[in-house]
Amino acid sequence: MSQIAKRFIQLLNAARARPLAAAGLGISLFVSSSSAFAQTPPDFRWAGDAEGGAPFVEADPSRPDVVSGFDVDIAALLARGLHRTPRFVMITFSSIDQSIARGDAEIGLSGIEDTPARRAALSTTLPYYEFREVLSVRTADAARFRTLEDLRGHKVATLSGTIAYEILLRAERDHGIDALSYDDDVHPYSDLVLGRVDAVLLDNVLADRRRRFISGFTIQPGTVAVGHYVGVLSPANAPLRDACNEILRTAMRDGTLERIFRRWNVWNDEQPKLHARLLAGDQVAPVVGFDTSGSTASLSAVDATRRYLPALLRASVITLILSFLSMALAVAIGVLIATGRVYGGRTIRAVLTAYVELMRGTPILLQLFVLYYGIAAAIRLPAFAAALLGLALNYAAYESEIYRGALHAVPNGQLEAGRTLGLSEVQILTLVRGPQAFRLALAPMTNDFVALLKDSSLVSVLTVMELTKQTQIFATNLGSWVIPGTLCAALYLAMSLPLAAVASRLERRWKAATS
Amino acid sequence: MTAPVLDVRDVRLRRGTREILRGVTFTAGRGEIVVILGPSGSGKTTILRAIAGLDRHDSGRIAVEGGRAGMVFQFHCLFEHLSALENVCLAPVHAHGVRKDAAIARGRELLAAFGVEHRAGALPRELSGGEAQRVAIARALAVDPHVLLLDEPTASLDPDRRAELGALLLDLARQGRTLVVATHDEDFARLCASRTLRLADGVLGVVQA
Repeated sequence: MSQIAKRFIQLLNAARARPLAAAGLGISLFVSSSSAFAQTPPDFRWAGDAEGGAPFVEADPSRPDVVSGFDVDIAALLARGLHRTPRFVMITFSSIDQSIARGDAEIGLSGIEDTPARRAALSTTLPYYEFREVLSVRTADAARFRTLEDLRGHKVATLSGTIAYEILLRAERDHGIDALSYDDDVHPYSDLVLGRVDAVLLDNVLADRRRRFISGFTIQPGTVAVGHYVGVLSPANAPLRDACNEILRTAMRDGTLERIFRRWNVWNDEQPKLHARLLAGDQVAPVVGFDTSGSTASLSAVDATRRYLPALLRASVITLILSFLSMALAVAIGVLIATGRVYGGRTIRAVLTAYVELMRGTPILLQLFVLYYGIAAAIRLPAFAAALLGLALNYAAYESEIYRGALHAVPNGQLEAGRTLGLSEVQILTLVRGPQAFRLALAPMTNDFVALLKDSSLVSVLTVMELTKQTQIFATNLGSWVIPGTLCAALYLAMSLPLAAVASRLERRWKAATS
Repeated sequence: MTAPVLDVRDVRLRRGTREILRGVTFTAGRGEIVVILGPSGSGKTTILRAIAGLDRHDSGRIAVEGGRAGMVFQFHCLFEHLSALENVCLAPVHAHGVRKDAAIARGRELLAAFGVEHRAGALPRELSGGEAQRVAIARALAVDPHVLLLDEPTASLDPDRRAELGALLLDLARQGRTLVVATHDEDFARLCASRTLRLADGVLGVVQA
């Protein structure tokens, strides 16, 4: 079994289709294959996101089930203290809280920030590391963008669901900056260097790490806020939390924790001070330098809804505009492709067929990534333009198939009647065949538009603040998907149901017309 | 004697390995109604399609006075998305540069001449078989062809309507139009033909009246 599992992991790795999925699958196979050994002590299942990378949790590229990083070392330290075997469970960073609450793992350790919301919703360990929120700007702008106040009217990026994002939302109101949230901590910096954003606010560990790989930006020395990393456990797991705290205290006292952080080059002067305060029994506030009392997590569900509803409605408008524009473009391109495939020569037909098959045969998510990040070195498309173009180019392939089918469905007699009357082929297409095909295509087109409306949620990966992205932020800040999910679903339905009704009416009308 | 309006000389046409027309020759003069008789599948429609320029013939020559022959298809083939009047006006406006108001006036005239002016605004699917045929004839005549081809025009008509159609075609011939009618309806041929030809084995023979 484990041989097969290993081979499977190797194959997945070789394919490099989705390193993350491969990692997740590899781990689950590993877990199931090892559960056969009944004598081994019960596993200490801890959750982290290997996509976060070093120095937190990093997967070995050739062996995705082997991870390293200071959070890995801390998990090992805790497991050792508990006389258990650490088992890594791969969980997407933004889902760790929910996964812990669900019981997918006992503890989450992945550079998770201490916040009042986490303290309220989950059991949190002692803060084991202190970080500073720092501002990164392009080196050329280092003199003019020193603080958030300097960035009025400019785009500032960060990772979604973090204290940094809350700080940026506050700065949006207070200083007129434009806050942008990413789903990872790599692209904010690459987009900073490309000029898509003008600053990045993230903690110093992430910023320092990124600067080792990307040049062209400077980390400002000022501290925007101070925060801490903690482990998170389910609220019912307080005894395990207390045991973990005891192990952490011992490790602070005997220098084990220092050795771990030194090993990963993240030890600095702030850490001994934090450890001294904790060992003295002082209470450490989750965040210093930023008032978190106004954050969504501390609001009631009703208040949170009231606060977020305008943003959700604005995001719905973005979704609608994006959908209408990309559909219009998709229809125009689709008509050209269909015409080319029906009337074109062998070469044109082959090229267009290849395009359609490429677009239909590869994931739209991949196409969006290539369009936004892949070709950024050559053409730097703004996020909205990339989203619009990506959806349009993908849907054009599907629309072209509808039109091609519709063009072929117009009876030959209609075309021949046009020829005997002296109409040219172009006139037959524009006056006879096209209009008739359009009627046939109308109902499937409307159905496709409803599909596009929902697929537009995919462009949230390009930082476009459409409905799904806004909902995600709402849910992350609220710590629950129930209300945001319900509101989001209601808004999508409010947009798609009328369209579906139009589609079925068109279909009925056409059926009545042809029978 | 004046030159024929339609001159078909030794036309051969094969589809795949099958030779459908094996040297078809005939002429039609001004004001003449030539009826081509033959069972279905004998190639009557193919002759009309070759004359209309829809099917390319392999050898021989076809000369049509005025360039292009008008065609009335067996199933009319009216443009489904346009009204009767729009069907009649489409080609004059777009292919022959007739001004729109002039084309509409002439279209109404043609529909009136065939007794379907009250159906001007109707879509093809709303017309009866006889009405659709008249609109199709009007549409073909709207671009003034010297030769009008009709494929199985009596296929969907009851006896009364068939007699009316015969009268209508005779009328057109009297106005100087040359008509070629492909049909398997011998009674209809007797009703209106100035000359009847019989198609068999891909060649035409003259039918003695």
